[in-house]
Amino acid sequence: MNATEAKNTYLSAFPDWEKAALSKDPFWLRETREKALAAFGEAGFPTSKEETWRYTDLDHLFQLPFDLTGEKPAKAAVTAELKSLGFDTEKAYLAVFVNGHFSKELSHLPAGRSEEAPKSLIENLANGPLKREFAHILPFESRPLVALNYAYFTDGLFLHVPKGKKLEKPIHAVYLSTNTGHATQSHLRNLILMEEGSQAILIEHYWGNNLKPYFTNAVTKVSLGKGARLEHTKIQQESALAYHLGVLAVHQETDSHLTSRVFSLGGALGRSEVETALAEKGAHCLLEGLTLARGKQHLDIRTFIDHLAPSCRSEETFKAVVDNESTAIFDGNILVRENAQKTDARQSNKNLQLSTESKIYSKPQLQIYADDVKCSHGSATGQLDEEALFYFESRGIGKAEAKRILVSAFAGEMVDRVSDEYLKEPLRRMVGEWLEGKS
Amino acid sequence: MKMLEIKNLKAKVEDKTILNGVNLTLQAGEVHAIMGPNGSGKSTLAHVLSGREGYEVTEGEVLFEGKDLLALKPEDRARAGIFLAFQYPVEIPGVNNTYFLKAALNAIRKARGEEELDAMDFLELVKAKLKPLKMDESMLQRAVNEGFSGGEKKKNEILQMAVLEPKLAILDETDSGLDIDALKVVADGVNALKRKDRAFLMVTHYQRLLDYIVPDQVHVLAGGRIVKTGGKELALELEKKGYEWITQKAGV
Repeated sequence: MNATEAKNTYLSAFPDWEKAALSKDPFWLRETREKALAAFGEAGFPTSKEETWRYTDLDHLFQLPFDLTGEKPAKAAVTAELKSLGFDTEKAYLAVFVNGHFSKELSHLPAGRSEEAPKSLIENLANGPLKREFAHILPFESRPLVALNYAYFTDGLFLHVPKGKKLEKPIHAVYLSTNTGHATQSHLRNLILMEEGSQAILIEHYWGNNLKPYFTNAVTKVSLGKGARLEHTKIQQESALAYHLGVLAVHQETDSHLTSRVFSLGGALGRSEVETALAEKGAHCLLEGLTLARGKQHLDIRTFIDHLAPSCRSEETFKAVVDNESTAIFDGNILVRENAQKTDARQSNKNLQLSTESKIYSKPQLQIYADDVKCSHGSATGQLDEEALFYFESRGIGKAEAKRILVSAFAGEMVDRVSDEYLKEPLRRMVGEWLEGKS
Repeated sequence: MKMLEIKNLKAKVEDKTILNGVNLTLQAGEVHAIMGPNGSGKSTLAHVLSGREGYEVTEGEVLFEGKDLLALKPEDRARAGIFLAFQYPVEIPGVNNTYFLKAALNAIRKARGEEELDAMDFLELVKAKLKPLKMDESMLQRAVNEGFSGGEKKKNEILQMAVLEPKLAILDETDSGLDIDALKVVADGVNALKRKDRAFLMVTHYQRLLDYIVPDQVHVLAGGRIVKTGGKELALELEKKGYEWITQKAGV
């Protein structure tokens, strides 16, 4: 299939799918889904002719048969597997989605129906803010893959933290793709609404034990009220033949603070986009990421920071390690608008190539339309330092071990920056296992 | 006992011959100095012995305790007991000094069939080695050589040597970039490690270091060959007269 044929398949499947799967959808949501589908139909799948998709080709994705017949999954030993990854799951709220559907049995969420408890989005559509949310389509939501997600999403996490409330535990949302059922894809939509002065830690964990090819298309929308703080970590650990496309879109009000981290290791093709609009004075964002690619993996990171208001601050640090014939991409765009005086924006991208066949594309972009700003960006790609390797060898440490230590030092910096105890150890283990070649 | 035997060693870098028939024998317990003008091949000799890439040995052999040294990979030479103190110690951001030293010691112990040390035992061992070098414990927590002063880097090399306890230590221009106080500390550190089953080969341009670490023999390397060998007084003579009188006589 080519892009047009694939698009037509997605379009023509909708009426039947809607009838079967969406019988419980409120009518207002159906209307928006149809509008979103039309937007997708108009735009079609992105091609490498588009600037932001220049290095990422979706051709292989189009060969994947379309099947959304969402059979409810069998029980999966999620908690045990998370523990084996090093997560102390007792210390988090666990929200588990299997093949795009919320699993109440596998989740550990606070009892009762408190407002701030993490919930299934689809089960809470009657909730006031959700109705407002889905009443329309924002311009960004008419982008093809986001629109496709809008049309087909089956569920996702809904989090609404009221004014001044601080969540006691981190929320660990697990999006598991398994072999059960025929579904070849899941479209997930998460909505995070944080009111003034609220605080939360959220982990979006995309994870697969499905050995067949599948497609995850995830969209997370976040709104941070005045002074709200969100620490968001995405772990992309899909299985080897997966296609993962994900967007995190954030809107930040006065003095709000976003930390966004992306640890990208999984899938045959993975693309994670992080966009934040620093819409009001004093907003601050910290964007970090680590990509570890080997084999023929293609892992793409795209960030967009929109400085719309004065005195906002953005700091970005992304690193990638590529081995074999893999590819890593960093496309980081910072836009400082005319009104955004006293902006402080810093961006850094560092890449380490372990093989001559691997590829790195680094594309830092800074567009500045204000005159009183502090902005800097830097990008560096290199190989392991031969001098350093010899230094290890001369001390009795063999080349393979020396390489492991040097790569671990390079990548480990991104784990060292994580302060949250719940995450730190599993991330360390994950990087360690990658270095050992186990994942 | 013969620790090191270098026989007619010839080596080149790319197409340029640097070592042109070096002969040298070092007994256990001895300290030898190799001196010579810039470009005479002193550092090349140190590098060839430690197994650094980029040098091609075209002729001759090197025996370490009677075994073919040149057949070994660099890490195996270190495990066999050879230590090179670098002229320019390498900075390794992100790897802490303790971790590096522990990994090195355990790699060597493992190769010798000894038990690896755990973190506690290792820390105890390394702390005891810090004192004579007047090094602060905080050095252990810093990244290897990163942001170290010239003196700190050289002290760190000697610390590594003290921890790894080699049979043969090759000191490549260890005195370069040191002020007199640091030089004394480094020399004391080396002297404290002298043993009758350990040998030292010091590569140096100046005689200064030899005031503090007194050699049994001094060799002058010029044009890729050893052109003169003598006692410690040869170094003093060189300091006074320079190298030219020897190199001219040797026809290099």
